Amino acid sequence: MKRIKYLLGFSIVLMVICVISLGTFAAEKPPVVIGLQGPITGPYAVEGEMAKQSVEIAAQMINDKGGILDGRMIEIRIADDACQPKAGALAAMKLITQKDVVAAIQTYGSFVVLPASDIYEKFKMVNIAYGATITDLTERGLKYFFRTCGRTDTQARFFAEKVVPYFNAKKIAIMNNNTSFSVGLAEESREALQSRIDAGEVEIVYFDAINPEETDFTIPLTKLRETNPDIFYYTGHFPEGGLIIRQAREIGIDAVFVGGDAVINQDSINIAGIEYAKGCYQTQEALIEFFNHPEAKTFKELYKAKYGTIPTSPWPVYAADALYVLAEAIDKSGSTDSDVIADYLKNKMEDFPSITGLIGFDEIGDRVGSSSHLYVVNEDGSSSLIDTE
Amino acid sequence: MKIILEQLLNGLTIGSFYALIALGYSMVYGVMKLINFAHGDLFALGSYLGYTLLVFGSTYVTATLGIWGGMIAAMLIAAIGIGIAGTLVERIAYRPIYSAGRLPAVVSALGASIVIQNGIMVVWGPRPQAYSSKIVASHVLNIGGIKITSIQILVLLISFILMGLLFYIVQKTTFGAAIRACALDRSTAALMGINIETIIFFIFALGPALGGMAGVMVGMYYRKITFVMGWNYGLKAFTATILGGIGNIPGAMLGGLLLGILEMIGSVYISTAYKDVFVFVILILVLIFRPTGLLGEKVAEKV
Repeated sequence: MKRIKYLLGFSIVLMVICVISLGTFAAEKPPVVIGLQGPITGPYAVEGEMAKQSVEIAAQMINDKGGILDGRMIEIRIADDACQPKAGALAAMKLITQKDVVAAIQTYGSFVVLPASDIYEKFKMVNIAYGATITDLTERGLKYFFRTCGRTDTQARFFAEKVVPYFNAKKIAIMNNNTSFSVGLAEESREALQSRIDAGEVEIVYFDAINPEETDFTIPLTKLRETNPDIFYYTGHFPEGGLIIRQAREIGIDAVFVGGDAVINQDSINIAGIEYAKGCYQTQEALIEFFNHPEAKTFKELYKAKYGTIPTSPWPVYAADALYVLAEAIDKSGSTDSDVIADYLKNKMEDFPSITGLIGFDEIGDRVGSSSHLYVVNEDGSSSLIDTE
Repeated sequence: MKIILEQLLNGLTIGSFYALIALGYSMVYGVMKLINFAHGDLFALGSYLGYTLLVFGSTYVTATLGIWGGMIAAMLIAAIGIGIAGTLVERIAYRPIYSAGRLPAVVSALGASIVIQNGIMVVWGPRPQAYSSKIVASHVLNIGGIKITSIQILVLLISFILMGLLFYIVQKTTFGAAIRACALDRSTAALMGINIETIIFFIFALGPALGGMAGVMVGMYYRKITFVMGWNYGLKAFTATILGGIGNIPGAMLGGLLLGILEMIGSVYISTAYKDVFVFVILILVLIFRPTGLLGEKVAEKV
């Protein structure tokens, strides 16, 4: 008897829930669901968190204007990949198997994007990478893969052609952390410097890798110190980057420190301590705080109102860009079909005003006209743009 | 020459961390013949305990004891806390299944490791935390051209004191003799009137306590702590245990220090990217010629 009572109560609750949800579905048009695959947990969680916040702000900007496809709202569905290739493949599958997800924004870290993009390709889902810069990614002939961020070869050329001459450096030390992105940036930088090395103008005095899972880099750094470099280019990531800055300064490396585009952010500045982080440089794509067109302004205002700061690295904002271009492509093409969206992005989108400026894609899915810049960390942890011309 | 000396000090510092953690593995294995995979994560937990004490208790602790006193207090409290945690792990994860043999206990140890690691993530969050310079004093000293930080001296000093103390307890006291007797043959030791329960309690308190102290020192020395750090250090310390001879306490100390120095040599003279290859080649060579490790004694197979 007791059990029947429970069952009865349970089914009444279920029915009420059903009626309520039916009511809301009937009243509103179904949302357009976009997946976000990002490192919500794990060592790169800070990037994942900022990406999630940025994409939500971008969704809010679109929804405030009345949504897309005649009043359908944008909804974000998150899949955590912990910045691991294996978990990334699972996260991609998780988004693909949900029938209402129309396209995906995917993730921080080229080594995670690499396997995940193959899976999206196989199941024909448009996926836009926001923090994956290794050159090869777009060279694989994928149809549904795009990225809103730049490429490491652009950055490597920028380092070789602008940064090294800017500091008038003769002896260069380059260190990477053995991940595909980091090795790529280090080797492309060396290639870009090759002509000047052959001419005897500059010299690479140190070129080696460290293991990012470790915490003690004093031994390789002491070795680096003995080569007396003028400039120390570290092409790895921020979790160990902060430690490297600190340990390098503590053992007396006074060379100009330049980080690659994943080295300087709030976490690495905290770990290094501001006394060592200030005066460190980074080669980086355009940071949101230096943009002033209407979309960027609205984005910054909304983000600041909700979270108190603005994103400290460019990648989360590229994720917001990815949502912006996806929404535009779906709205203008009037379809949520992957082929139509991919075709629109490749062939019809040109100079679309998005959060980080005008966006268009070339035939392999790379963003047209991304650029690298040099920034320096100030005493309060903020960054200033350096004119390298 | 100066550079070699400086690099040797760097290698010794890493080595002393490995040695302190390795002691926990070795002590437990010696008596229980069990690899306590949760040990690396207890070390990470120690790091977070010390961090919490220093950050949130800094107004009281650091204010009353000074910055150095605060650091020592954090280490002691982390040691006590992790000692208790270690005995709890033994009670909850190992004791109920001893009778089932060794293999289930190893699986249970892996489970305990995952629980502790994720527990840290839930409580302190997935982002790396930093021991800020407000709570940890550090000065770069220049002794005859050799650059060394004051923290590095503290770490080396405390590690060697702790290792000396443990060596004395195990080799010179009656209690140490009882531990060694248990390691040789538990049932005979019990027949000789040694209280096995007490011995097990102490090794599960003492080993993790040393690991907890190492955790706080790692935090103070490197500043950055993450919830996954236990895995990497645990693996290295376990390697050190094998190198020195598992179950042998001086062997764990020797193995840890040697591993630190070997990593240094590989990193300086070969390449940092290939230093682990170098270290493991040496380890394999050692194991070919001395299968029980450098100081491990040959134990006849019990039938």
